[in-house]
Amino acid sequence: MRLLLDQIGRLLRRPASWVTFGLIAGLMAFVFIVIGATAQTLEGAQGSAAVLAILTFPGAYEAVLGFLVGLGGLLAVVYGAAIAGSEWTWGTLKNAIARGESRAGYVIALFAAIALVLALGLVLAMAVGVVAAFAGATLAGIPTDGLSDSATLSALPEKLARGWLGITEAGAIGFAIATFTRSQLAGIGVGIATYFGEQFSTIFFPDIVKYLPFHAAEAVIGVTPGFGDGGPGGPPPAQLSADVALVVVIIWLIGAVAFSAAVTQRAEISG
Amino acid sequence: MIDHPGQPTAGLALGVRGLRKRYGSIVALDGLDLSVPRGLVYGFLGPNGAGKTTTMRLLAGLIRPDAGSIELFGRPFNRGDRRRLFDVGALIETPSFYPYLSARRNLQALASAGAPVSRGRIEELLDLVGLHARAADKVSTYSLGMKQRLGIAGALLSDPQLLLLDEPANGLDPAGIVAMRDTLRHLARSGKTVFVSSHILGEVRQLADVVGIIAAGRLVREAPMDALLRDSGAIRVRVRDDEVPQAQAALSPFGSVGPGRTEGDGNSWLSVPVGRERAAEVTRALADAGMYLSGMETEGNLEALFLELTGSPEPSAGEGTFKGLGRMQ
Repeated sequence: MRLLLDQIGRLLRRPASWVTFGLIAGLMAFVFIVIGATAQTLEGAQGSAAVLAILTFPGAYEAVLGFLVGLGGLLAVVYGAAIAGSEWTWGTLKNAIARGESRAGYVIALFAAIALVLALGLVLAMAVGVVAAFAGATLAGIPTDGLSDSATLSALPEKLARGWLGITEAGAIGFAIATFTRSQLAGIGVGIATYFGEQFSTIFFPDIVKYLPFHAAEAVIGVTPGFGDGGPGGPPPAQLSADVALVVVIIWLIGAVAFSAAVTQRAEISG
Repeated sequence: MIDHPGQPTAGLALGVRGLRKRYGSIVALDGLDLSVPRGLVYGFLGPNGAGKTTTMRLLAGLIRPDAGSIELFGRPFNRGDRRRLFDVGALIETPSFYPYLSARRNLQALASAGAPVSRGRIEELLDLVGLHARAADKVSTYSLGMKQRLGIAGALLSDPQLLLLDEPANGLDPAGIVAMRDTLRHLARSGKTVFVSSHILGEVRQLADVVGIIAAGRLVREAPMDALLRDSGAIRVRVRDDEVPQAQAALSPFGSVGPGRTEGDGNSWLSVPVGRERAAEVTRALADAGMYLSGMETEGNLEALFLELTGSPEPSAGEGTFKGLGRMQ
């Protein structure tokens, strides 16, 4: 427990944590406010209704969550890889092992800390997103009556939990890649390549890709990521149902953490 | 003196028998044996690439041997015995820290893993290594020497019975080296065992009670420092400048007497390659030749012994000269 608590403290002090949070929260706020500010120029344009629906509560809640899980998945890969890779690059894993710490225990505690920090970041980013969507709706002159829609609000905790699982699974993939490569830089690079590789594979293997980690992570909240309700870009790609995606995400999550622990357990540590 | 494999390791802080380790086609350790008694400073000497750091990594549980055994405090240390490392503090290779955290926070992070750390220990160690005033600063702002001090503090965190230090003087200024030496000597006096690897002979000579010399992955000599210096010793005699040629001739039966090193006050020092037990013979030889020395010192030529044992070529163009230097434009 002392290791987990210390790991959380370290992550909260780490610039990468705040840069990642600032990036997603800032980008999201920017997008929602810009849409709101330019809403009048969209009137009558093709797809404008779908764009403005993003700012309309209670649907805006899903739009915010979809944005967070979509872009957040990519950032989580990078974040997970950065944290795991730096333990090898900086040699801090070596310190802990030489002090008699359990290798697998250290890796699991580190990932658990990442998962908890991601949960905190998701809740904070969700709050920023809702405020930004509200501001965008106000700028666009869209009524905000749906903000307190009880059915949506009561379902929100479960959707947030699902979104957190999706983002955490993406982080676990980055974490596992960096552990395997034993390098921060290589972990981030390969993690990003894997993410985009999976996105491009949709063209060739749509029935297989939906079971892959990033697509499953995006499907787990039951809305099309990025811009809820299908968004302006045409029909959503084939994806798993939310409940099947949840099972797939948990399998990928546990598998990635177990893989990281096993690699560390067997590793010859130098440097 | 080299212990034979299979010799009992009771009473030893660290016993290593037949340790082998390969990295692909490179043999890093080729049947290494070590016997490190408790409560002293053991100097682990060897040239670059001899296998010192590989040995350190094995002792700290970072890598696994291909063959051989390690015993810590008389009990086998195998894969899975990680809790045995609770009695060991280590500084392996370069000191490693979170650059965005302060020195104090780094030690707290270290203390959260592995062996428990007593309350107040971190402040005590920051004080010991002279970093208290900078303890709140980020480690990324530290010099190499300061990081090295922090690494030593990290190794001492759990008040270990055995301390493994890999080249601990790296980056330290002279005052830091003296302070480190005093600290390690103090730890040994208090019953701890300090295992220090180094390729700096002067450092080991001033610090170690027992020395193990490694070359090409094997132990080539292990003995108390006094015995090593005695075996590799020399006597220095001080004679008048005008008597140097005559003194060299008189002392030539003892071996090759080096050229006199003048002190600038009309006297010179000559080095005679014999142990201090033959000091009387040296003084008699000079007296028989009608000369009276005005000073005498014994010195151990650890460097010559090291070069001989490790098969390193003795520098002919000054200490530290590389072979290809003469060909460089």
